[in-house]
Amino acid sequence: MSAWLECSISEEIIKNKEIFSDTPSIISDIMAGHLDITNLVENMAGVLTNEEVENREQGMKFFTKILKELPPDYLNETQVKFISRFYIDRLKDNHRIIPSVLEGYLAIIDMKHYSTALNGEFFTVLFREVPCQSQVRQDRYNIYRILNLLNKNPEYLKTLGPDFLYGFISAMDGERDPRNLLFLFSFLPTFLKHITLGHLVEETFEVISCYFPIDFHPSPDDPAPVTRQDLANALCPCLCAVAEFGEQCLVLLIEKLDSSLRIAKLDSLALLKESCKTFSAQTYGPFLKTLWSSMNREISHKTDEELKMLAHESLSALVSKLATTANTDQAFENFVKGVLISMQTAIAESTTVAKFTQAAKVLLTTANASKESCVIITKSMIPAIVAYYEFKPSTKLQIASIDFLGDLYDMAKHWGALDEIQSQAIEIPKLCLIAVSNPSKEYQIAGFKNIIRTKDLLQSDLVLPFIEVLIHNVQHSQDENLLSISVTTVHTIARKYPEMVMDIVVKGKCDLDNLIDDKTALQKRLNLLTNLASIDEFTKVIISEMLKIIRTHDEDAPKVIEALNSSMSDISLYTENKLSEIESDHGLIDSILGWILKELHTGSEESLSHGYKLIATTMSSLPAEKQERILSKYADVLEKCQKDEAYFNILECLYRSLRQSIYNPNFERIMHLSIDVALKSDDKAIRTKACVVIAHLINKVGHGQKFELLYETLTNCLLNYESEEETLLQRLILLYGWLTKALIMRGSDKFLCWLQKIIAALSSPVYCKLAAEAIRLIMFVHPDALNRTFYPIETLLYKQRMYENFTSLTQNFVPASEDVKEAFYVSWAFVLENLSKNIVSREALKILPIVIESLDYDNKEMLLVMTDLLCYYIEYQPLVVAGSLQSAIPRLAKLTRYPKSMYVRVNSLQCFSEIAKSYSTVLLLPYKQDVLAELAPSLDDSKRFVRCYAVAARTRWFLVGAPGEPKEN
Amino acid sequence: MTKLADNINPHIYEKGTEREITASDLDENVVDEIDEREIFDLIRNINDPEHPLTLEELRVVEESNISVDNKQNTVDVNFTPTIPHCSMATLIGLSIRVQLLRALPSRFKVTVKVAEGTHASEHAVNKQLADKERVAAALENNNLVQIINQCVAIK
Repeated sequence: MSAWLECSISEEIIKNKEIFSDTPSIISDIMAGHLDITNLVENMAGVLTNEEVENREQGMKFFTKILKELPPDYLNETQVKFISRFYIDRLKDNHRIIPSVLEGYLAIIDMKHYSTALNGEFFTVLFREVPCQSQVRQDRYNIYRILNLLNKNPEYLKTLGPDFLYGFISAMDGERDPRNLLFLFSFLPTFLKHITLGHLVEETFEVISCYFPIDFHPSPDDPAPVTRQDLANALCPCLCAVAEFGEQCLVLLIEKLDSSLRIAKLDSLALLKESCKTFSAQTYGPFLKTLWSSMNREISHKTDEELKMLAHESLSALVSKLATTANTDQAFENFVKGVLISMQTAIAESTTVAKFTQAAKVLLTTANASKESCVIITKSMIPAIVAYYEFKPSTKLQIASIDFLGDLYDMAKHWGALDEIQSQAIEIPKLCLIAVSNPSKEYQIAGFKNIIRTKDLLQSDLVLPFIEVLIHNVQHSQDENLLSISVTTVHTIARKYPEMVMDIVVKGKCDLDNLIDDKTALQKRLNLLTNLASIDEFTKVIISEMLKIIRTHDEDAPKVIEALNSSMSDISLYTENKLSEIESDHGLIDSILGWILKELHTGSEESLSHGYKLIATTMSSLPAEKQERILSKYADVLEKCQKDEAYFNILECLYRSLRQSIYNPNFERIMHLSIDVALKSDDKAIRTKACVVIAHLINKVGHGQKFELLYETLTNCLLNYESEEETLLQRLILLYGWLTKALIMRGSDKFLCWLQKIIAALSSPVYCKLAAEAIRLIMFVHPDALNRTFYPIETLLYKQRMYENFTSLTQNFVPASEDVKEAFYVSWAFVLENLSKNIVSREALKILPIVIESLDYDNKEMLLVMTDLLCYYIEYQPLVVAGSLQSAIPRLAKLTRYPKSMYVRVNSLQCFSEIAKSYSTVLLLPYKQDVLAELAPSLDDSKRFVRCYAVAARTRWFLVGAPGEPKEN
Repeated sequence: MTKLADNINPHIYEKGTEREITASDLDENVVDEIDEREIFDLIRNINDPEHPLTLEELRVVEESNISVDNKQNTVDVNFTPTIPHCSMATLIGLSIRVQLLRALPSRFKVTVKVAEGTHASEHAVNKQLADKERVAAALENNNLVQIINQCVAIK
């Protein structure tokens, strides 16, 4: 028979501690109905009302444990009421009982049938009988938890009245434990919002504000410390939880903002920002002057970026808050004007760009906060800055002021306030004109950039002077930047005033009708015109005129073609649709091809290649059916190719950018022809083009039968060329490279046999260099083949597959000679260079030995890649390299004097810098003296660029293990 | 009590632009001589011992106060303390010296001086900086080396 069914349980609890582990059985008895909870209480009477405090404590502990383990919905309303009354009564008992009472009450509150009305009673007794701050940490925490539960019932909270609030604030007054405080702060904001503060506003604020600003350092042996920042972040919303705190809060905030403590300033600014969410705009009224003078001080701080940022944020919050009363209250306008006046003074006094931008940023922050402030700021700042510019401060300041005008304009545009500042804003383009009239490049670039930003403001009367300057630049400027921005500016103006630009530029300055009469700066004019031709209004006039020149085979046709090619390959100017439209309206390809066919044997290599490129670009913009139409129109090119291989150039540019869906029976013939050209032609460029055609055909042909057929044609065809002749073999290796690339890109497994052939060639001393070249072809993106513009089939991660296959195929690679070994590492360099950094990191253990080994070989290109990789490993995976430092450091030291390439020297010096940064002093000290000696010659390197890195590396190594080293080991 | 800086609110000047990299800088076959600008670049980013600012921003060092002779292998640097009674002048001079010792080829003879008429005890400071033994002795003082290393460390 279990003891809890009888009165003897009381005795048991007193004597036998182990009975505490029996509570689960008691619970199951209660649940099963063997025992009624009231009976249990009766049975425990002996211990619960025992005269000895110690025994009563045991009794309460035991009963609390049972309450905690009972399912929360088991007890009915009367039972809960009975038990809570009992617990409330116990609050009056000895202090030793209190912890269990609190714990038990927490369990009761969670019960389903608990009535909130009991809370009042509980708190009255609690606040009267239990001095919260005299309890231990955990009990205080429990009290706060009980208080927090009220949050669930905000309506009830309102009925509790001032006595409760008084009890509450007395309970928390003086709390010192960081975790308890964090908990209190977490629920205080909602709590305060739901309770009527009445006459206790001041007291409540006092209790909370005594913590501000938080000054706290967690104990160093705390495993999960509460940080100062956590506490500060939690306290902030409490201080401004309700509007009633307004005045006190601001007084406190201003006082702390003026303190000399940095964290006090930071917290005050954060509080100001947060307070704007709850306080009304009127609250700030009396304090605005003081607030601005304090914020102004922080915002113009010279070195503390964090403080400055926070000051900006709070200024922004304050302005947008005040802006809500812009129409009813003068305070907002006065405040913004105050900011304006201080910053205007700061700008006027600024002697450096840093000071200027600092003041400008404050104004921009203010303008960014609300539409109203934006209007005030821009209205007075635009004329002020224009005047400032004319006051002639230094060049840098003038340029900064032009940029600032652009920022102001953007701001006004963002708030949709352009109409209101119309009369001021039109000054901006005028100022830009003054700036660009200055012959100096800096002024002109700044002015043009700004006019592009503020293009909507440009009035028609300013177009002519701008164009004058622009056209002069376009024709005479030698500077690339200025030239390109001038062209862009003309383009921008042309979009706004097409008719004017048409009259002044196209028909006037560039005189389209007599375009080629004036030979000076013809190319630059042509570039401008082709750029303008991308605008719809100009397309017809310009393109048709240019094509006329091409069709008449004028001597300047190559120049026109070059200009067209460079503009049209710029996707931001000519979209695919635009190009396709031009082709169908003006017959671009026909004209260009006509010209090429005539010039094929006489034209210069370069101008022809512009023509080929232009055709390829235009072809790639066309939809499939149009491409097919053009192919059939020029089907005879194939015939001509067989007689004269020069025609192969045309074939290549027509077929290179075909879409994947196109297939025609000619493909097999083209394949035969291309293989023949690729292996037999004497012209290297033509051979490469043939390889490109083969690769494109194999890559793009649809999956299934078509592919099988074409692939078979290819293999059969290649059977005819089996021979041991050296030149043929060399050409074959490169062709294998292209084939592997085409196949591996489309995700076909057939690439493997070609790759094997390349690897076989890699092991032969005669062909190893070419094999490495073939590997390069596979890994690099070629500008004229199989890149995205030509619609190849490109599966994901094909480079990674190449890496994996290359690794497995070369696993047992035994190089016969040093040459072969070098070619082997060169191939590795090509494979690794294009690999994604993910894989490079994952495979570090495999790759690193190759990298270090390869540093002994003298190949510029390979060394560049390998030193780069080594630097990456040292920086991001120092642990992997740590073991190899001994072999890496001497090799790198030798490379710091590598005569053939300064970039190799730079990379190896960079490795040294990274080594000093990444490893612990203990590991580096043994090398220190040697490294310092090895790096000394680099300080006198013939290239300044190298010396720069040598200085960085050597001065860093001086710090290794020296006092004041900026590293924690 | 911590010592307040000598010059609490120094005037801050504009930072110059980085040296432009020209085509000849990238040409392997052209030899670039060490010039004034390069020496200036070596010391412009040394931190002031008192402020989180560089010597360039405080205009303690200027390109025009540096001279290099590649034939005679000499480098002369004159620096200007922010105020005439700056107690840090020797320390700044020492930092410049140390940085140049570490960063210049050993063929150069480096002289670091306070610019004429810019410091109350100009003569004494110059004497200290020119005295090899005193410099060597100073560099054996760990506290001093620590401060100097913190000044020359690249941020």
